[in-house]
Amino acid sequence: MFDFLQQYYPVFIQGAAQTVVISLIGICIGILLGLVVVAMNLSKFKPFAWLAKTYIAIVRGTPAMIQVMLIYYVLSKALPIPDIRFLGSSLDRVIPGSIALGVNSGAYTAEIFRSGIMSIAVGQTEAGISLGLSENTTLFSIIMPQAVRNILPAMGNEFISLIKESSVLFYIGVQEVTAQALGVGGTLYNFIPPLLVAAAIYFVLTFVLSQLLKLAENRMGRKYVALN
Amino acid sequence: MLTDTENIIEVRGLKKAFDQNMVLKDINFAVKKEEKVVIIGPSGGGKSTLLRCLNHLDGNYTGDVLFKGQNLGQLSKKELQLCRRKMGMVFQQFNLFPHKSVLENITFAPIKLKLLSEAEAIDNAHDLLKQVGLDEKANAYPQSLSGGQQQRVAIVRSLAMQPEVMLFDEPTSALDPEMVGEVLGVMTRLAKTGMTMVIVTHEMDFAQQIADKILFMDNGHVADIGTPDYLFNHSKNFRTRTFLAKVM
Repeated sequence: MFDFLQQYYPVFIQGAAQTVVISLIGICIGILLGLVVVAMNLSKFKPFAWLAKTYIAIVRGTPAMIQVMLIYYVLSKALPIPDIRFLGSSLDRVIPGSIALGVNSGAYTAEIFRSGIMSIAVGQTEAGISLGLSENTTLFSIIMPQAVRNILPAMGNEFISLIKESSVLFYIGVQEVTAQALGVGGTLYNFIPPLLVAAAIYFVLTFVLSQLLKLAENRMGRKYVALN
Repeated sequence: MLTDTENIIEVRGLKKAFDQNMVLKDINFAVKKEEKVVIIGPSGGGKSTLLRCLNHLDGNYTGDVLFKGQNLGQLSKKELQLCRRKMGMVFQQFNLFPHKSVLENITFAPIKLKLLSEAEAIDNAHDLLKQVGLDEKANAYPQSLSGGQQQRVAIVRSLAMQPEVMLFDEPTSALDPEMVGEVLGVMTRLAKTGMTMVIVTHEMDFAQQIADKILFMDNGHVADIGTPDYLFNHSKNFRTRTFLAKVM
């Protein structure tokens, strides 16, 4: 049943590598965007908060597939990205695709960050501020490190969904692992075995990631027990 | 308007409401250099709110709060931060940073704000910890300390900023009874060094011993004000006497 792998395994490896690359870029953009958006959301300057809330509402309220396509079509008009091959796809698809994943993930991470910040007692902010620290220093040096520890499980879930949802980039022609599996399926006139292989690859990726996150959780929890 | 520069803190016509509820109704008082002002009164009388207005932790009030002649309500964020460095604050719930060791709790702000080099800040922290008998806990994390130890560290953390005034918001109210003494002891020794202090407390004996001036707050007013001797022994104020009769 899996004899085709002898011939096609490089295709799956390339697809898996592509999935890892777009997911990593997506996660990084998502975290950075999430940090900016949560700072805006909690800002006392109302237009920032309003902008952040609108962004979160739109991203959460529309399908990822449409977001990816819209960002791809807009960016391919606006940005002249050279047509360079990278792991079986053109960069002019990979780059807008990863950005789209990041833009989608940013809304969710911003909300996870917000829940983490809310989970830290107000007294921590007051202690920081009354030492003469700025609000930003208090947020980033006092609140965030504690929040990160509280939100690590939720962030893990977000990373795992992002890896799985990166398969939507198939629709804009990024040859990630789902796209490769469908390609192989078309050649074989049998989709089931290659899709099973793709599913196994996703499972391995998310399983390894969740183990790594567990390790990080344990390491961060060793030093102190939350007071709240 | 001219201000008496001898006053470290001056409060004029301070009013504050939470929604419709007036919690501070026209408060006026001053704290002179080296003076120990203790605020007592029934719960919900506005004591903590008043203290939190002194370093602008609670804003949204009307009236003026002045620190060394600077009107906190009119300062930029930067200027306000500079004032807060000079006003140490100790909280009922300690509010140590749980992700930092005792030493890091103490040295973080002085290093971050470039008041001291890292080496100086660490030396200074060890010196201060020795003074409160906790130097052997320098590398411990807050949750491994008792409440009394945490509060002593919190006092040291504020002192590391070399403040000109220390604000204490019910520093012993969250402690088990057997730990109250060690914290009050540290505060008494601090008072003897000439530190200017404003203290909200329910510890009446301590108030009587340490205070130069006691404010009795009730229902958002400074209902009575005077020396410990006046307030505890001679005040004719009905509310003062009712309150003291109840708590002593």
